[in-house]
Amino acid sequence: MNSVASKRLFQEYEHLTTDPPDGITAGPVNEDDLFVWEAMIQGPEGTPYEGGVFPAELKFPKDYPLMPPTMKFQCDLWHPNVYPNGVVCISILHPPGDDPNHYEQASERWSPIQSVEKILISVMSMIAEPNDESPANVDAARMWRERRPEFEKRVRLDVRRSLGL
Amino acid sequence: MADASKTSINIPQIIAVALVGFLAFRWFMSKPSTPSGTGFNTASTRSRGNQAVDLVKIDQIAAMFPQLDRRTIAWDLHRNGGSVPATTERVLAGRGLDAPPPSYQPALPAPAAQAPVVGISGATAGKGRGKQQEDLITRYQLQERVGGKGKEAVVSEEGLRSQNVWSGDKVVRAEGLKRRREEMVLAARRKMEERGGSDS
Repeated sequence: MNSVASKRLFQEYEHLTTDPPDGITAGPVNEDDLFVWEAMIQGPEGTPYEGGVFPAELKFPKDYPLMPPTMKFQCDLWHPNVYPNGVVCISILHPPGDDPNHYEQASERWSPIQSVEKILISVMSMIAEPNDESPANVDAARMWRERRPEFEKRVRLDVRRSLGL
Repeated sequence: MADASKTSINIPQIIAVALVGFLAFRWFMSKPSTPSGTGFNTASTRSRGNQAVDLVKIDQIAAMFPQLDRRTIAWDLHRNGGSVPATTERVLAGRGLDAPPPSYQPALPAPAAQAPVVGISGATAGKGRGKQQEDLITRYQLQERVGGKGKEAVVSEEGLRSQNVWSGDKVVRAEGLKRRREEMVLAARRKMEERGGSDS
């Protein structure tokens, strides 16, 4: 089982290195442990996150790719779908099968045909378009819904600060 | 007559006595381990035997809520008699789980995913799970490379493309990944600096 996961992760690493999607860098923190990755995602253009770079840690289970990894941003990311502690809440990271709450379709959730690349691209579009139906950060969601200018200002400030400016 | 009545009554009697005895015995034996809402003491005597089951339950909840600490989950399960639905309900209701007392140290095997993260630089080591206030320049130790404005050699598109090479050597691969990461931060910083002048 272990070798299946390692092999697959190694292949994905190679693919992401030779043909990285725009604005995304990802790979294992240390190749001796392929189950912990660090990914960098650029803030999508035309959003308050534009110009920012957001590092995140991906942790893969031993039975990857049957089960999805978890993803946690290592920086402040004020976003309705990111928990205050940085954990990302997005359907593609949810275990396969039907959602007991019927919010998500099985096809949106994790399945072994998904990949790290698809996760990172999904997260990038999630950053651009928050889904406030099931917010992970209730305060951010409320601000996003009710006081959009304040929300955007806060995000821009966070981005500048994260770059040491 | 005595003989006849004895034999005819005895068999059902024996059965009845055995049944009552069995039920009484079962009731007596099961009583201490019946989950009760507030039974801290009973729960603790029980948890040893149910350790294996509890781990599965903890895994279940940890899978649903990766943000939760496993010890906190264990504590909540421990208190509600090992009910996964009750703990799930509690988290979903937004009430959160109580922090376990320091004395509560269940023997939880360290989950594989929580293997110590070897930082690419010293800056990532030993960071807590809370908010990280350090910026990316500090995190990736790029202080020296952002000092001189515009002095930093800008890597061309061509140069960036040539970094996308898969090397057979893992040290070279790690170097390449590190460089791409740093380049991403530095490029973002340069852009933000340029924009900073025109903005606001």
